[in-house]
Amino acid sequence: MIRKTFMLLTGLGMAMPTFGHYIPGDGPVELSASVVATWRSDDIVEQNDYWRIPGALMGGHAWPYERGVAVDEALLGLGARINERTFAVIEVGTHGGGDGHGDSAEVQHAYLGFQCCEEPGPWVLEVGRMSSAFSPSLATHAGDRLTSESPLVNDVFFGRDFHDEGVRLWWHETAGWSAGAEYWRGKAFPANTDGDGVWDVFARHAWSAGPTSITLGGWYYQADAIARADHRYGGGHTHTPVAPPGATAEAFPDTRFTGDVDVYGIHAGLEYRLSTDWVMGLEGEWMHFAMDGTVHDAVGRQARLDADQQGGWLQPSISWRRHTLGLRGEMLTTDNHLTGSAAPVLAEDSGLANASGHDPMRYTAVWRYQWRPDVAFRAEVIQDETLADDELRFAFGVVWQGRLWPQSRIRGHQH
Amino acid sequence: MFVKKLRAGPVWPALLLCVSALLSGCLESSSTTVDDQGARVSSFDWDLPESIPLPKEPEDNPMTEAKFQLGRHLFYDRRLSTNGTVSCAGCHQQDKAFSDGVARPFGATGEQHPRNSQPLVNVAWASTVTWGNPSLGTIERQILLPLFGDDPVEHGLNEANSEQVLRSLQADPTYGPLFQAAFPEQNDPLFGDLAWDNVVKALASFVRGLVSFDSKFDRGELSASAQRGERLFNSERLECFHCHAGYNFSDATVDRLTTFNQLMFHNTGLYNVDGMGGYPEPNTGRHEVTGDPDHMGQFRAPTLRNIALTAPYNHDGSVETLEGVIRNYAAGGRVLTTGPNPGDGRMNPFKDGFITSFAISEQEIDDVVAFLESLTDESFITNPRFSNPWNSTGQETP
Repeated sequence: MIRKTFMLLTGLGMAMPTFGHYIPGDGPVELSASVVATWRSDDIVEQNDYWRIPGALMGGHAWPYERGVAVDEALLGLGARINERTFAVIEVGTHGGGDGHGDSAEVQHAYLGFQCCEEPGPWVLEVGRMSSAFSPSLATHAGDRLTSESPLVNDVFFGRDFHDEGVRLWWHETAGWSAGAEYWRGKAFPANTDGDGVWDVFARHAWSAGPTSITLGGWYYQADAIARADHRYGGGHTHTPVAPPGATAEAFPDTRFTGDVDVYGIHAGLEYRLSTDWVMGLEGEWMHFAMDGTVHDAVGRQARLDADQQGGWLQPSISWRRHTLGLRGEMLTTDNHLTGSAAPVLAEDSGLANASGHDPMRYTAVWRYQWRPDVAFRAEVIQDETLADDELRFAFGVVWQGRLWPQSRIRGHQH
Repeated sequence: MFVKKLRAGPVWPALLLCVSALLSGCLESSSTTVDDQGARVSSFDWDLPESIPLPKEPEDNPMTEAKFQLGRHLFYDRRLSTNGTVSCAGCHQQDKAFSDGVARPFGATGEQHPRNSQPLVNVAWASTVTWGNPSLGTIERQILLPLFGDDPVEHGLNEANSEQVLRSLQADPTYGPLFQAAFPEQNDPLFGDLAWDNVVKALASFVRGLVSFDSKFDRGELSASAQRGERLFNSERLECFHCHAGYNFSDATVDRLTTFNQLMFHNTGLYNVDGMGGYPEPNTGRHEVTGDPDHMGQFRAPTLRNIALTAPYNHDGSVETLEGVIRNYAAGGRVLTTGPNPGDGRMNPFKDGFITSFAISEQEIDDVVAFLESLTDESFITNPRFSNPWNSTGQETP
């Protein structure tokens, strides 16, 4: 029995994609919390440097992972079933981000949902602030992932995570199918609040037969942005950082992007149960990201940008009882063309320049041990080739995902 | 058993192979290409550091060395005035970074100018070319003011005397070849209908070519005091760098990379003569041209390059030293209790948002001044290319 419980946990938690989106169960109130803390052996970039992958226009919450112990994520979630068809979810949490960047808590979820029209579903209408549903990995928390670090394409194309205010109508997991559309206010990277709105459509199918479970899906996302800044370092009143004696620091060049962003992707997850003890899994996602617009800055310089970028990750894993071994390979390619008198300087200032034709890649080998139902440990070796200088770093972390109320095993419906 | 199970699930390796093939086929090598559409191309040798973008050149007056040299002769020629007493170089002296060292200069007829002579340093990059006129965007248009303006009179040229002045130039054998070289597409550039137009274009070319980017700051040779001053300059406390921004230390800077010409003028709280933010007439800055009350006392932030050579300071030369300028900013404006224009500039309602008081020690003032002094370009004030060409000909400067 105990073995089956752990197998179920590891199987749900790792091999198959999970979502930050959540539909509460039948109980009146559910309260849960999670904390993910990780020690890393090295920084991605030095102090007073800015993490910008050559060829990419980054932003959002894609802070560089830093040396030492960091809280990658801390969440407190409340779900309530208002009546048979209506529910509400509130989640408060912090983003990971060293040097105090992500320390402040924010409301990540605050939405109302309505299930229609049979009992229950299959149509679900949700309104409020919430994660997106179009990409499974984008809505997955650090504690739910096999690896502690978010996929490279999520960092580059969506600023690591996606929380926005909007409305979602979807056909919810009926006969294995889920499909729907979302319309957002545009507060989440790569859009911004000054844009004309953001929308996406998605569909996925889950199929299971015998020892095999497969999930396949695809999505399309469209946004626009007006003078979108990289709010990690710029977008407001900026100064040259104060560097310690002997070190130098440069002010962040506050370039902006105005234009259209089109992204589409496909994702797949496969789980194959070899025996009662062994489970093999394979997950992956591929995205294509296009930008058509203008890069500009505060002194009136601008250049046309036509960018085609794509990337993805593939993650095979094998689980034995409480242990899971996995390997994630990631790659990103960028094809950018800037035109205009200011093109050379804006390419440099924006981070789009990629003189050496660098193809960012990253490989992560991970071992995860589910010590208790709510507590897991993981160790990772990361070969990071996202920047011009390669880096090998190690990470050791602990994941706690607790159900605070009620204590029963009946849980809500988590995606 | 393990092997058996694996074989029993052929979908597993098949899917792995498919996804791998998909990814490897789709992902091509990265590249970023840029097309600057000729932004680094000029027929003139600007002799700029790589980091400095080329300035804009008017389509009807592209820079050439020949026009620059003709303009250099005209710049130092006193015959370009109503009575042969004033040349451009009278108020724009090379050893003072092409300023004149006095608060307000006098024109050819003895009339005193209400404004301080601006240094001619990197004017090619200035978005506007006077202290407070937002409509003067080209040097060619600005040069007409000192030559032909009558309020105040500077060179004192007018319809009555311009023919005589032109004849004096035509009579000098030096000018014929210079004009012909500068305007080879014209049959008679010195004697034809376009002669005055050519004078203005040549003068503008010389002024446009006065380039200064070789200071200790540019060479990274700051003293310890200047380094401290630089940090203060860029600090949240002093906020100097907002108006004196970028490679030319002025937010009123344009170059070939800029698409929009942002008009930047600032009220620094120098006066408040009526308690309602008024500046003494006729020096009301941008307000003089636009008539907009909100533009009262707004002036263009000058470049700080060679600023240590261009005292006295501010638009009317009313502040004698750099220390004085810093103290005014530290106070959040200037308080005048005596003289013709008393008032509390700190309370000026049109004051720029960055002019707020800040605490600063005497040592810190010295450090900021040291940083400003590091912007002095010794080669600029001794460069023979910018000097009086008449001296090298053995002729007395006409």
